[in-house]
Amino acid sequence: MLIRQISVFLENRQGMFAEIARLLGNNGINMKAFTVSETEDFGIARIIVERSQIDRAFNLIKSNSYAVTMNQVVYLECGNVPGAMADAMERLAAAGISVEYMYAFADSSSEYSRVIIRPDNIELANQIVQEL
Amino acid sequence: MSRDAMRELQGEKLKRIVRHAYENSPFYRTRFDEHGVHPDDIKSIDDITRLPFTIKKDLRDNYPFGLMAVPMSDIIRLHASSGTTGKPIVVGYTRQDLDNWSEAVARCFTAFGLGKSDLVQISYGYGLFTGGLGAHDGVQKIGATVIPTSSGNTQKQIQLMQDFGSTAIACTPSYALYMAETIRKMGIDARNLKLRIGIFGAEPWTAEMRRELQEQLGIKAYDIYGLTEISGPGVGGECECQNGTHIWEDLFYPEIIDPVTLQPVEPGQKGELVFTTLDKWGMPMIRYRTRDLTSLNYDICDCGRTCVRMGKILGRSDDMMIIRGVNVFPSQIESILLEFPEYEPYFLIEVDRVNNTDTFDIQVEVKPEFYTDQINLLVRLRQRLTSRIQSVVGIQPNIRIVQPGTIERSTGKAKRAIDHRKFE
Repeated sequence: MLIRQISVFLENRQGMFAEIARLLGNNGINMKAFTVSETEDFGIARIIVERSQIDRAFNLIKSNSYAVTMNQVVYLECGNVPGAMADAMERLAAAGISVEYMYAFADSSSEYSRVIIRPDNIELANQIVQEL
Repeated sequence: MSRDAMRELQGEKLKRIVRHAYENSPFYRTRFDEHGVHPDDIKSIDDITRLPFTIKKDLRDNYPFGLMAVPMSDIIRLHASSGTTGKPIVVGYTRQDLDNWSEAVARCFTAFGLGKSDLVQISYGYGLFTGGLGAHDGVQKIGATVIPTSSGNTQKQIQLMQDFGSTAIACTPSYALYMAETIRKMGIDARNLKLRIGIFGAEPWTAEMRRELQEQLGIKAYDIYGLTEISGPGVGGECECQNGTHIWEDLFYPEIIDPVTLQPVEPGQKGELVFTTLDKWGMPMIRYRTRDLTSLNYDICDCGRTCVRMGKILGRSDDMMIIRGVNVFPSQIESILLEFPEYEPYFLIEVDRVNNTDTFDIQVEVKPEFYTDQINLLVRLRQRLTSRIQSVVGIQPNIRIVQPGTIERSTGKAKRAIDHRKFE
């Protein structure tokens, strides 16, 4: 499934991610998942929130003068059993798809692991993930 | 030489150089005519205040050779230093000019106590920068031995220093401190080196740095002052008293002016240093505004020299900073940012000194539409700006991309640079 993700530019200073988290928290927006990638000078936080809240989250962050972008990523529900992730990744690789980044999050109420993938060919990757 | 005899000599030399400039340089002829002053009006050194000033912009506007006052066939050397827009300023020397320059450097070295039996390691950069070759010619003039290592490759420099038995080192004071640290790290005892004299210039330094250098390297550390426009290093230097920089004023006539009114200040008062080259023919500089703030002391020095002493450089009357020995203008950074559609034209430079090395941080903002989810694009964008600044300014900045809207936008006098270094 294709879902939308929010990416926030984090300049290199203490408390930067805390500000974003607090802003969302104060407005009743729960982060379902996130990952922070860093370079020597700056970072980028990629955040997944409830579909119904994502536009509000995006506008909230933007209107508070943070650099934020919204983009599509592939959402994969992967069986929480040994080898399940290997199966999925082999299928993507066989189709010639490269992954720019990905991150996973668990949900105790579910038998699935949830994985966010940012591939180079998003349509094709999504198609493959649907067929898994 | 008595002060009166010096003023007499300066007056004679001023008359000669003003006439030379007027008759051979269209730039100066026009400038003097506009100012309503003619060489015939100059009868003594006191008449110097009738002459118009020359500024750095004049050198840029006449890039590359517009200020030469001799045919190019008489110019035997060119040097250059970085300018405010990436266009360097260029200076040309006749054979006589090089002789006079090396004479000035030789006087500094002699005042430092150097002589024929010394081995002087020159770790200033060789090239367009005046530091390397300027010091080089001075060492040859006093008949000492030149070790032309140029800058960089510190461990090898130290190896040679040890093997050759260098007795003096010429470099920026911050590089000397770095060398001292490297010597320790290499497990060498500085007391076993033959070093006895340090020739330090091209950037401001503190009494504290002097104390550290003298202690760590077991040397006497001397200041040498100069600027490309006026020749290069050696316009002045300290003596054994280490109490002010003697200016060789038969070659370089110094004045102190109020940078606002442009009028001379009372002797001993602080103001902007202005130089007139009294014996430089290829490219004379008449009343060149250095933008350095300092004062002049005409009291006779304990060393017996009567040449005026310049105090510490207290700052600049413009916004130039010297970082790792390199002149940096905030306007250079601004014009580079304007070349990049991805960046906002706002920035904040922060300079500090950490472990004896200058840090050079620049905060910049990326335009909102260019912030992206793709880290590698931003990393590449940052790298492109780093390289561009390094190639124009000559030193590598640490670029810090900050979030939109955080850099001060106030029109007019926005604070574009903060210097955390302490020179007191």
